[in-house]
Amino acid sequence: MVQVTVDPVSRIEGHYRINTEVNGDGVITDAQSNGLQLRGFERLLQHQDPRDAALLSQRICGVCPVSHGIAAANALDELFGVAGEVPKNGLLMRNIHQALNFIASHAAHVYVLWGPDLANPAYRDILAKYGDVGNAVWKELQGRFAPLIYQIDGTSYPAGSSYLGAIVEFRRLHEAISLIASKMPHPVLQHVGGVVYSPTVADIGQILSYVTKTMEFVKTFTLGVSPDTWIENTYRASSPQKAATFVLNHLQELLNKSLDSKDFSHSAGWGDVPLFAAFGSELIGEKLIGLPISMKMDLAGTYKDPDKIGFLSYGVFFKPEKGNGYDPTSPADSRVIPSGYMNGYFKLEKFDYKKISESVSHSFYIDDVNDRPPWNGVTVPEGNPENIDYTKGSRSRYSWAKAPHYDGIPCEVGPLARMMIMGEPLVTGLVKTFQDNGYYPVNNYTRMIARMQEILVVVPEMIEWLTQDLQAGGKVAVHTDLSMAKSSTGMGLWEAPRGALGHWIATGPDSMVTLYQAVVPSTWNLAPRNSQGIPSPVEQALIGTKISAAENALGVDYSNPLGILHTARSYDPCLACAVHTIDKTTIDKTGKHPDYTIKVL
Amino acid sequence: MKMDRRTFIKAVGVLGASLFLQTYKNDIAKALEFSETKVVWLHGVMDSGCTISMLDGGSPDIIEFLQEYNLKLLYHEVLMMQQGIFVDGKLANTSDLNSEIVLDEILGREKGYVLVSEGAISNGPQGSGKYLMLGGRTYKEIYAKAAKNALAIVAIGNCATNGGVNSAKSDIVELMDPRGVAFTMEDASKGILDLLGIEKPVINLTGCPTHPDWVFLTIGAVVLGKIKIPDDLPSVLDHWKRPKVFFPPDHVIHDNCSRRGYYDRGEFELTVGGPKCLWKLGCKGPYTHADCATRNWNGHLNYCPQAGSPCIGCVQPGFPDSTRPFFVEIEKTGIVGTNITTVAGVAIGGALLAAGAHAVRRTAMKRPEDEEGFAEESIPEETGEKTIEETGGEK
Repeated sequence: MVQVTVDPVSRIEGHYRINTEVNGDGVITDAQSNGLQLRGFERLLQHQDPRDAALLSQRICGVCPVSHGIAAANALDELFGVAGEVPKNGLLMRNIHQALNFIASHAAHVYVLWGPDLANPAYRDILAKYGDVGNAVWKELQGRFAPLIYQIDGTSYPAGSSYLGAIVEFRRLHEAISLIASKMPHPVLQHVGGVVYSPTVADIGQILSYVTKTMEFVKTFTLGVSPDTWIENTYRASSPQKAATFVLNHLQELLNKSLDSKDFSHSAGWGDVPLFAAFGSELIGEKLIGLPISMKMDLAGTYKDPDKIGFLSYGVFFKPEKGNGYDPTSPADSRVIPSGYMNGYFKLEKFDYKKISESVSHSFYIDDVNDRPPWNGVTVPEGNPENIDYTKGSRSRYSWAKAPHYDGIPCEVGPLARMMIMGEPLVTGLVKTFQDNGYYPVNNYTRMIARMQEILVVVPEMIEWLTQDLQAGGKVAVHTDLSMAKSSTGMGLWEAPRGALGHWIATGPDSMVTLYQAVVPSTWNLAPRNSQGIPSPVEQALIGTKISAAENALGVDYSNPLGILHTARSYDPCLACAVHTIDKTTIDKTGKHPDYTIKVL
Repeated sequence: MKMDRRTFIKAVGVLGASLFLQTYKNDIAKALEFSETKVVWLHGVMDSGCTISMLDGGSPDIIEFLQEYNLKLLYHEVLMMQQGIFVDGKLANTSDLNSEIVLDEILGREKGYVLVSEGAISNGPQGSGKYLMLGGRTYKEIYAKAAKNALAIVAIGNCATNGGVNSAKSDIVELMDPRGVAFTMEDASKGILDLLGIEKPVINLTGCPTHPDWVFLTIGAVVLGKIKIPDDLPSVLDHWKRPKVFFPPDHVIHDNCSRRGYYDRGEFELTVGGPKCLWKLGCKGPYTHADCATRNWNGHLNYCPQAGSPCIGCVQPGFPDSTRPFFVEIEKTGIVGTNITTVAGVAIGGALLAAGAHAVRRTAMKRPEDEEGFAEESIPEETGEKTIEETGGEK
């Protein structure tokens, strides 16, 4: 047994470590997911004016501040008793703000954080065995995805074309956010009762212009076909089967041309998504369209026990047809990407926030009870340096993240969970294709395809909000006064680019915050074990995954553990979000959520 | 415009460092060749927001910045291929893929690099620094080694400069004990460098996040020799160690606010979403020293009050404690012990009365240290302006 540790896991947000045990066949047999920093964020909101939370809580995460701002604003809406009155225009502004952040954040993940692993020299060595085709594909991978600091055999190579191009688009999308929200990161748009800015006709036109420009990048670099064509045949397809067939046929056409020409470039139609869609998957690449080689990412990062995993979405993007106001419990029919829970056998159930709970048995928090319902915790950070030790194995305390679960089951959250729960045609069609061919459909490959596809789901919806629903100069907020927040509670359910995000807040008779709690996506995905010893989603995904590139295609190389790197990064880790502290308990006396007590900060 | 380096230096010499920074355009530097400057970029306790902000830089953008100043970025956790890799606890692979080998090489033999510090440095619990560990060692230990061999430290964003949100008042902040580089909040005796016994020139670029121009143009000026380290620092920096050109001691955001006309006419918003002055919604623009309102953010497009939000003073060394609650007028917070009735009375009315309000508020904002040689940071008195009491309301 060999111990392989990645510490720090770079190209993520925050500080993260993964430790694994790997057997002689190069298969991971045990894994611990370690959040490496204590930040204590929610505590600084305690005793303070609750309205500050919409701006301060954004500082939890510099990549998805928008999501925290909106989750906090949603929680404040309920706290102030105005959730039912937030003007439709205010809700649309939240949608548009979040949509721009989804696209930018996904682009940053795909190209800047995750993409560089495709330029790992292991793929050069594997592809070199496949002659001109292999070499041509390697040239594409390195030429597109190499990051800013990149060397092979000690020689530096320039950053890739797609990598650099994506930074330009990331910047452009942040300019679009800045136009209506002052700046990015840490914009200032979100506020209790709505948003602080009512857009002009010029703003709307300018945002559309930014998005149109970004869609040119998506056409030339990302998809290799017009986004309209892609959306029409996937997101807007009449059935999942048709969506999957469109993509498979498209890949087949591209491949038929390129096997002769040995041209896998952007100009030959191989956008980054088609290139990955074909070469990333054994099933699709090798078995269905006839490639000689693939990265076999569909065999890595899967879940082996369907009874121990679920998929969760809180729902995101208010449906404009619902008009003013919204229900804070996020019923499935109220949001464009709906809330829902799907179990490990892919059976969809209605989402019920009351089933969320958290465990600290393997986290660096002091508590005499290991498992509590989430709004009833008593947790104090470990203060003895001797006890902060990441090397004691799966039975120890080993992370600053806690372990949330839904009805006792750890859940994957994020684009794949959302797209499956939504029934998005392409992702649903691919899930079915994998199942029909004996593959577990949730894996490192589908996790990334879903993230890429979600961009093409969000863009057309956002364009509709901008062109048809949003009223220039319309009312965007209702008036609130601090006294409305006396002795109250609020819940903000939303989705960050990385997955389900919830903020909970309560106040005392002076309207000041008595408790604040955020349960964030990376806590779900990258937790340690829970009190039943069930590994978190990323730990389950690591166990059973092969340590080296393409299912150990070149033999076992413990020193280049792509199995860990691809799996961990496929979740788009955000560790500053994942680690947070709580303590003290307050009973919800307001009667709004009589069935729970709220855990504090 | 192409010119050789000598002509160029002469040209900027005529302008002076401050004006050069303000008028810098990246095409000026394009033709020039500088010797390579190494940059080590470390991330402590933070949310990566400043790295994101740097990716949002436009003129220059981060790639142009590195290329045109001939900077060699040796280490940056978000932008590098490498990660820490250990097999059975021992370093594995090479510097191609292992960031811990890269870091060891830097800490072991590099000297004279610019250390860009993003994020606070954990000192807790109990001085151990174990609230942030990387590659099996504390960040505090890594930071001490990296700081020791640096030419200078450029701290970016309030987490690094002053501890930022990590150091905000809370029930557990003493346990966590996060430190800024040279300050923790407004306390100059609590910077991590002092604790570690390291003396290094420090340039602070505050903000949550900080502005990419502030960072790129400052480092650019150092590389160009326009800010000579350490000789020029006392004249170029304010007492928070920030370049005065970006954080002007005699200028606040309010001075150039696009809503200033409403303020002068005494027209204030009481609910968010409208076009008028945001003072009564708690705007800290009148107290915040930064060029946000002239420079603007993200493609130089916008800044907070223009976008409808009160300024929350995120560049202030004491942010967030010194500027919250965000949505309450500072005079009503009790922070400065002002007579609220007086100020509220002054607030209503036209331009002259508003100017009078200014004088009262500025007096109220004076802190004790302003009396002790820190006057350059304080908001200067507008001599000649009188309060409403003094004028009796006359025009």
